[in-house]
Amino acid sequence: MKPSDLRAESFADYSPRARALAAENLNVFKRMPLLLLALVLRQVTQYDWSFPAEREQLLLQLNCLSHMDAASFESLMSSFSVIPFATELTKIDWVNHPQRFSEQLTANLWSQHQIDSYHSAAQKYQQYLQKALPETLLAAPRWTIVVIGSGVQQTEYPLFRRLMPHGTLFTQLDPKGGLDTLMAEVRSRILRYPLEYGHWYIDGGEPHSAAREKQGLTTMSYARLVPAAKREFDLLNQFTGRTSLNGTVGVEAVSSYIAGLSPEDLQLKGNAADAPLRHFEVNLLTQGAGCQIFSTTFVQWAARECLHRAQPLTLFARFATRQSNAPMEQLLMRDPLRQPQDKEGSLIDADMGAYYCWINQSRLPGAEQSRFLVWFEDHSLACAIAPTLPRGNDYYYTRNHTTSFGLDGLNMFDSLKGRRSQNSLRPPSPPGGYPTASHLNSAT
Amino acid sequence: MTEFYFLRCTPTDILRQIAQQRAVTRRNFLRSAAMAGAANQLLGFAPLRAVALPQGQKTVVVTFGGGARDEETFAPEGQGNIPHLMNELIPQATFFTQVVNRGILGHYVATASLATGVYERFDNFADVAPKNPTVFEYFRKGLGRPANDAWVIAPSNGFNRIGQSDGTQFAGGLGAQVILPKRLLASALGKSSTNSPGLEFVLQDNYEDLLFRPASVQSEVQLAKLTEMLHLSVDDFVHHAKTLASADELSVYVMRQVMRQFAPSLLWITLHDMDIAHTGAYSLYLEGIRRTDRLCAEIWRMIETDPEYKGRTTMLVLPDFGRDSDLNASGNGFQHHRTGDPLSRTTWMMAMGPRVRPNRTVDRPLDSLDLVPTLGAMMDFATPFAKGKPIVEVL
Repeated sequence: MKPSDLRAESFADYSPRARALAAENLNVFKRMPLLLLALVLRQVTQYDWSFPAEREQLLLQLNCLSHMDAASFESLMSSFSVIPFATELTKIDWVNHPQRFSEQLTANLWSQHQIDSYHSAAQKYQQYLQKALPETLLAAPRWTIVVIGSGVQQTEYPLFRRLMPHGTLFTQLDPKGGLDTLMAEVRSRILRYPLEYGHWYIDGGEPHSAAREKQGLTTMSYARLVPAAKREFDLLNQFTGRTSLNGTVGVEAVSSYIAGLSPEDLQLKGNAADAPLRHFEVNLLTQGAGCQIFSTTFVQWAARECLHRAQPLTLFARFATRQSNAPMEQLLMRDPLRQPQDKEGSLIDADMGAYYCWINQSRLPGAEQSRFLVWFEDHSLACAIAPTLPRGNDYYYTRNHTTSFGLDGLNMFDSLKGRRSQNSLRPPSPPGGYPTASHLNSAT
Repeated sequence: MTEFYFLRCTPTDILRQIAQQRAVTRRNFLRSAAMAGAANQLLGFAPLRAVALPQGQKTVVVTFGGGARDEETFAPEGQGNIPHLMNELIPQATFFTQVVNRGILGHYVATASLATGVYERFDNFADVAPKNPTVFEYFRKGLGRPANDAWVIAPSNGFNRIGQSDGTQFAGGLGAQVILPKRLLASALGKSSTNSPGLEFVLQDNYEDLLFRPASVQSEVQLAKLTEMLHLSVDDFVHHAKTLASADELSVYVMRQVMRQFAPSLLWITLHDMDIAHTGAYSLYLEGIRRTDRLCAEIWRMIETDPEYKGRTTMLVLPDFGRDSDLNASGNGFQHHRTGDPLSRTTWMMAMGPRVRPNRTVDRPLDSLDLVPTLGAMMDFATPFAKGKPIVEVL
């Protein structure tokens, strides 16, 4: 089947809103190269349980394409149209299984050395849309707060090394009540900027008490999703057990099977109103690697996907400890919540995860005004990044200038405004380069 | 899986700054390394090409199946993870700062491409042999060498076919002996009076697709034959394995047995521990890099203390490829190698041995495919189907 063969009836198996959207944009779809269309259809098939930001972006994209003149449209599509791929891929039911098509297409493009052309075409398309689509206006600057190192007493690891060049390191915060202060600020933002799926809390263990059942706050936690992950492994074992009777099970078959799992398959229960969240959780567990077995990977991956898809105004991500390493067979079998924990390793994982959270926040509209804070839980060390703060390796804020963590809307983001040149911001260069947390703590 | 992650995202000035800093960091490293090389040209010895080559030239190739990025290795912030490479091996080596892999970035297919000198195109997870002749076949055919003069020690399932091509371009029967140490240990456990607890990490499987378990591939008959050939006491083997911390340590232990028993002229080992990065645990990825660093130095010490190898062995060390950049929106940083971005395609190589000038840095870009013709030129056998060019700096 070719895109030009599409009819409204082709989408009969889509969910109601997706079906309507497809019918509405049929003429655009019929003119698109299959390589690109399959990607767009992946988004369309998920439309009924997409987040508001995703829906808005998809509608804007389709609206833009439908209003292009023929020559411009052809020009935009041409970089995809010229990429050759195996004709047998067109026999896949790409309308109803666009993900399966994309996976097999990707393998084919790699084998034919066309993957770079594909990436180049995608980049060109993306750049066009960036210019053509209207800029998203935010109700307020986006905030991402990351908390790492739960339960770690001290470390020699140089925390926030990657983030420091872009912000200010706070070394003498009073950690008392830090989590409560941060959660209070999150609650305040929920009240000031009520948005559907606009404020998120992601925890690597059990959620903080202030995050449980809080209206307006989308809460996810590793501890709550472990049963779903174990269910996923059980189903996978059953699948490979059944199919291996007929020969070796290929990686594509496994991928397709996992991609087809639903919230019901993983026994994730909820109501119609939170269907997007349950589908999101399924996507996390079925598309992520390692997030099922390591809580640190879960928080990093969930935060990434949350920022990418929901584009929240507020994200609070709290890393917990992960289970100690073990052979993969054991990791896939055992309960990760009842194993010895690797605290130091978890801190290192989380430090990198925090850096990735900031990178992913920086990819979103309004990045220039965004605020980012990472805090070493129960310690005096934090790093904040904001347009109002000094940047660079040399800027440490060591003076105990506030008595508690943040205060009044995390005013640390504004407290140093215009004070970059003051001596209090320039302590002597730390011995041996970047300070470690234990070094800084021992100095306080 | 390819898709347009963050389709609406705007590359901000902040991200551009990071990219620029990364480039500067890399340049700084290259400059410092290049300065060391320049000093060597002025003050060091002349190349050794005129010196008569020792008889019985041997070559050891060490590849990393797992990919290692600059950030965690040779960039200033990563050098603490590789003290052995930095302080022990590089001063003795010619270091190539840019080796570009233009093929498929899956470990088996990429390693097969390194071994054939042609970018192989098969499914990374399939149980297939390389389509093009391997360096082991070229070597054995060209020099008339017996089967036990070329060995491969490979880390995981899927690599068992790497020693010999599928026969479409080259007659069969000229491949390398291939050992999958984990399979060997698993087989030994079946015959040993010792129980397996304590060996879990040594039997660790592949990480490339965490939810996919390839079928076992090396037959019991082959394993029994290998055990016998290596003169391994099953109980001793199992007991020793219990003192090891990882699959790569087991591979190096088996390599030592192969060296002692057969002293092959062409020996290829692929290390794999650092591929645990696919679980997303950065600390475990760093652990894997540090272990690989230590094992590389251990391999060189094994070479230098073995009379069969000392003074006549060239060792080449190279990752099969890198891992994704932190800044590529379609990847997830160090975790995978799926984007095909420059960082995931660009890596390095070091060469050391009596014919290789020490403490030299070469900045010109090499291609991964250059390895096979280089081995052919070094050891004097033809590699007619291989692409790439011999690396003149090591000849």
